[in-house]
Amino acid sequence: MKLSKESILGLIALGTFLLLALIAPGFLSSNNITSMMFQLPEFGLIALAMMVVIVTGGIDLSITYIAALSGVGAALMLTNGYGMLPAIIVAILFALACGAFNGFVISKIGVSPILVTLGTMVLFEGIILAITKGNSISGFSDGYSLIGNGYYLGLVPLSIVIFVLFAIITAILLSKTSWGRSVYMYGSNETATLFSGVKNSRVLMKVYLYASLLAAISAIIMTSRYNSVKVDLGSSYLLQSVAAAVLGGTNIHGGYGKVIGTVYAVMIFQFIRNGLNLLGFHSSLVDVVIGAILILVLAMNFFSDKFKKAAETRKAEKAA
Amino acid sequence: MKKLYLLLIAALLLVGILAGCVAENSGSSDSEGEAEAGGAEGESAGGEEGLDIAVVPKLVGIPYFNASESGANEAGEDLEGVNVNYTGPTQADASAQVKVIEDLISKNVDVIAVAPNDPASVEPVLKKAKESGIHVMDWDTPADKELVDLSVKQVDDEEFGRHMAQKLVEAMGTEEGEIAILTGGLSAANLNLWIEAAQKEFDENYPGIEIVSEKIPTDEKQQVAYQKTLDLLKSYPDLKGVLAVSTPAPLGAAQAVQEEGLQDEVSVVGSALPTDSAPFLEDGSLDTAVLWDPGKLGYLTVALGQMLAEGEMPEDGQEIEGVGEITVKEDGKTVIMGPPADFTKENAADFDF
Repeated sequence: MKLSKESILGLIALGTFLLLALIAPGFLSSNNITSMMFQLPEFGLIALAMMVVIVTGGIDLSITYIAALSGVGAALMLTNGYGMLPAIIVAILFALACGAFNGFVISKIGVSPILVTLGTMVLFEGIILAITKGNSISGFSDGYSLIGNGYYLGLVPLSIVIFVLFAIITAILLSKTSWGRSVYMYGSNETATLFSGVKNSRVLMKVYLYASLLAAISAIIMTSRYNSVKVDLGSSYLLQSVAAAVLGGTNIHGGYGKVIGTVYAVMIFQFIRNGLNLLGFHSSLVDVVIGAILILVLAMNFFSDKFKKAAETRKAEKAA
Repeated sequence: MKKLYLLLIAALLLVGILAGCVAENSGSSDSEGEAEAGGAEGESAGGEEGLDIAVVPKLVGIPYFNASESGANEAGEDLEGVNVNYTGPTQADASAQVKVIEDLISKNVDVIAVAPNDPASVEPVLKKAKESGIHVMDWDTPADKELVDLSVKQVDDEEFGRHMAQKLVEAMGTEEGEIAILTGGLSAANLNLWIEAAQKEFDENYPGIEIVSEKIPTDEKQQVAYQKTLDLLKSYPDLKGVLAVSTPAPLGAAQAVQEEGLQDEVSVVGSALPTDSAPFLEDGSLDTAVLWDPGKLGYLTVALGQMLAEGEMPEDGQEIEGVGEITVKEDGKTVIMGPPADFTKENAADFDF
């Protein structure tokens, strides 16, 4: 009975997979498995970015527009005849600039993250509209399209390899470095963290920078996969990524959240969306199912936390 | 700690480089494998009864695409041996739409007809569909011409845009004055074509008409169109007319005009469904709704999808049962359903979409 939130979620993910493998025709076909592996990374990276921010008790509503803006950066470079590497660097720089702006206003000026990123969401959208006039920029080189459409070792989609890599890096950064520990500490209690000698503003700055880096990677995969970029690139991922992070066990008030939980949550979303599509469900029904699962798991988490707390107080009373 | 970072970065670079070279030389061999697999599965799917025709709208759950859904389903019932699968994203997001198409490829349907949110972004996935032996066509909004086998259009864009402009001038009752243009989204290709055509019509035939600002995007939402129109009415008190393109926009514009009681001062003309616009047509807050029958468009898409899968191509002037006479352009694959239809106070009640 000593299963962590994440392991339970992992079992749920496995359960959904097996269930859909049984009832959805073609779910297990190699075509479908690869197509799911192509679909998952872009959303997974955004969800990871969102998770890191939520662990600090914040939220980044501008994340998909950071991704879109960085995609625009890459697209401008590519369509103006620069190679892949400069384009990727520019994409990352664009995103980091956005992240630095968010981080600066949040950490140095101290405005609450939801307000700042709500503002920058509109700001970045405006910048993209000013650059693109609302049109899509498209037509990249074949080499670039391999990032999102190519195979690593001829077996696994390259994008999923990138995703796994960044999931591992994020996990290591969060659990093995002093920055990671400060992130969790800040999320639990920022005053205590400050008084224990941590430079809160630096920690926060790095959080928003790292989130925007992940957004940039996601943007590179998306632009390469769709061979185009436009203002609403990935905009449907915004609230989904919050949902995935929270479903993955991240505490919306901050202080708790694990990479593996978010990864499981992203997988559950992916399986259900794909499986229900294969079953021919109406898309709005897919949203209903995902919403229901989200509420269910959150309610379960809430009650299990409550029971744990009740058990702890009982134990404490006994000891006293 | 520094060492750890360095190690991480080194590992990352190494993997990056490796990935770079491996991906390139494995891409070709794999796509071959896929094509083979796709061909084989395509045959097995053909062995089953009936054709699976997938119709993908820009998004589901708005009146326009609901109407085309019922048309498509009706065609599925009327035509023998056709299973219609009408599915699309719940948001007009290009990446969500691509996923729907990818899932349809996994499902091994025979025909995919898509109304792309962003023509460029569906290009790779449509290529993939073609490689696995699926017939690809577009409807409502054109995709890349090279990729599709057939392109179904509701009206001629030029004709439609000019027609709306004429209707607006007619409704205003004067050939002079300020007007504004609302649009669903700045990058929707068909909306832009109509607006261009309308602007041309104004420039050429009604030089007294002044367009007060750039076209205003409304996110395909009635609420946004309503807000923006209220703002417009405030900023330009002399505004005589609003041209609202995209189906929710005229409703929002009319709602604003209705609320301000400006039915007689400001004319609204736009592309909207008759049942939605009926309450606004009634008191003149919306003067004319111009559109086509989206149900027929869905019907025609499925009918042509069946022809395509059976190896036939439509001909100019051909009579399609349940739709009427179609026009085929010179390229042989662009099909135009017919002239635009006007919905006014008098006739709006006769339509059920």
